[in-house]
Amino acid sequence: MAAVLSRRVLCAARWPLVTDSPVPTLLLVRGKKTATWWDEHLSEENKDFMKHMARVEYDAMTASKLNPLKDEPWPIKPWAPGSSRVGLIAVKLGMVPLWTKSGEKHAVTMLQVQDCHVIKYTPKEEYNNKCALLTVGGKNVSPFHKSEEVMEFYSEAGVPPKQKISKFKVSDNAILKPGTPLYAAHFRPGQYVDVTAKTIGKGFQGVMKRWGYSGQPASHGQTKTHRRPGAIAAGNPARVFPGTKMPGLLGNVYRTSYALKVWRINTTKNIIYVKGSVPGHTNCLVKVTDTTLAVRQQGFENLPFPTFFADGDEELPEDLYDEEVFQFSEPSVNYS
Amino acid sequence: MSAVSAAFGTNMAVCRRSMLLIRYRTGFLMPARFLSDGEPAKFQPPVKPVFKDELVPAQLQRRFLSPEFIPNRCRKDPLYFKIERNDMVKRRKIFDIPEFYVGSILAVTMSDPHANGKLHRFVGICIQRSGRGLGATFVLRNVIEGQGVEMRYDMYSPRMHDIQVLKLEKRLDNNLMYLRDALPEYSTVDVNMKPVMLLDYEVPVNSIQVQMKPRPWSKRWEQHRFNIKGINFEKYLLEKHIKRAKKSAKPWEEFDMLKEYDTTKIEQELLQELDRKLDKSKNQEIGKKTAGPNV
Repeated sequence: MAAVLSRRVLCAARWPLVTDSPVPTLLLVRGKKTATWWDEHLSEENKDFMKHMARVEYDAMTASKLNPLKDEPWPIKPWAPGSSRVGLIAVKLGMVPLWTKSGEKHAVTMLQVQDCHVIKYTPKEEYNNKCALLTVGGKNVSPFHKSEEVMEFYSEAGVPPKQKISKFKVSDNAILKPGTPLYAAHFRPGQYVDVTAKTIGKGFQGVMKRWGYSGQPASHGQTKTHRRPGAIAAGNPARVFPGTKMPGLLGNVYRTSYALKVWRINTTKNIIYVKGSVPGHTNCLVKVTDTTLAVRQQGFENLPFPTFFADGDEELPEDLYDEEVFQFSEPSVNYS
Repeated sequence: MSAVSAAFGTNMAVCRRSMLLIRYRTGFLMPARFLSDGEPAKFQPPVKPVFKDELVPAQLQRRFLSPEFIPNRCRKDPLYFKIERNDMVKRRKIFDIPEFYVGSILAVTMSDPHANGKLHRFVGICIQRSGRGLGATFVLRNVIEGQGVEMRYDMYSPRMHDIQVLKLEKRLDNNLMYLRDALPEYSTVDVNMKPVMLLDYEVPVNSIQVQMKPRPWSKRWEQHRFNIKGINFEKYLLEKHIKRAKKSAKPWEEFDMLKEYDTTKIEQELLQELDRKLDKSKNQEIGKKTAGPNV
């Protein structure tokens, strides 16, 4: 609401620049419901001014949330077996190699946590009477393409609008106050995480690519039958069973990679180095959570609970490494 | 002592004999402690001389930016390249990666758990440089006991112990993979080769054209996409081969402005950044005359 209001106020303040006619200023600002674009009736200067003010407003909002422990914090409860923490929303930057101290090379994915905030807390009574929900958003976007209802949702938490929001089921002792910023140091090297994202869309594909069918031979009397599925059912049922593998849309669905090890964390740039590949294209937004695989949950009691607070007592170095990771400031590996 | 012994070899016995020779030939009497039969002092290699010509202005000195620093043209976040570059600089501060090109002769020492003495040294001609960022690699090729051997090395791998440039030169092409189909003498390098001094500020270009084995080759090197200048194709191709190669040529691509990627400005910025981050004294070595100046 604050952002919307400020937009109106800004226009009123810049009224002489907008138009010479004595038209009420509020009419000039239109929401997404109308068929116009947001800067249709703005001059270039006013447009730049609006953008500038939006950025200033964002910075102020972010700065006001930097000290969650001093700002009437919710009580922090200790970890207990069965607790589940909140997850993060991160941007996939790309893949790099990483070496262990034994000289082995691994491919890792860099995930950057950009402007990640808790936006909303839903108590369990309002959800399913079993666990609470935390809505988390990542990566700031322009407010001018959001509808007023959406802007209101963000202004309740006092954070800028986000490109992606996601809900995380958390246990009652892990709830966080809306507006709490989340950082990459929420995770620690050595632990295992699950990464969820939309896979790269491949469009409409045949069975060979979509389901790995072998197709038919290239020669030996084949007529127009090289990449086709062949039979899809038998004569006896005389129908096609539901769920039969056929051509269709491939990709662009949510997929999860389970139990990826965190090798390294950069605390200044908020980058998580996760082993292997994760779904989605470069620059896509992914959901990172503590793993749900029970065998990979050792050491979860040592993680920052309910999350890492930047204004807490913990002083972190710039880079956190897993024990096995070779750091580039070390001398070369020797086997003798 | 150390300088004299180095001048005559590494063996203490040889060294002592040589000094006796000097003593008798010149009439110069060495101090007695050099001639004693006591515990021989441990050999210390002499300090490598660095030749710097102060007269040559800095503009004429060679600046070299390793190609893996130049980012690909893509939609990745610039921060990704920056962070990767920071790691590369960290590694380069510990481990010296010299300037070399495709066609240079290198000796690479790498730790190998299965090798004798846990260190493995390989000498060969660099036939390819590929990869970008931390994943940059190069391929060395040599013919050992009649068998062609190629080794692919990760430049930033912690297993690398030493990269020594034995001969710094360029070839006509940026990729010498066609040496696989050339006569073996063109990829044979002496394993015990001594480093060759570079007596020029410019890196010499070896304009040799290799003799190929008879066709068929592993790839159709005559095709225009390879753009190979190091083979005299007239010797090996028939009329029909040349015709077929012309058919697959795309001569319009060099005028395709969308494919242009001018990196000169990026290179300038990167060089400045690396100057800042890497030790300044290292960059002074650019102008030195020995083989293998570094950046």
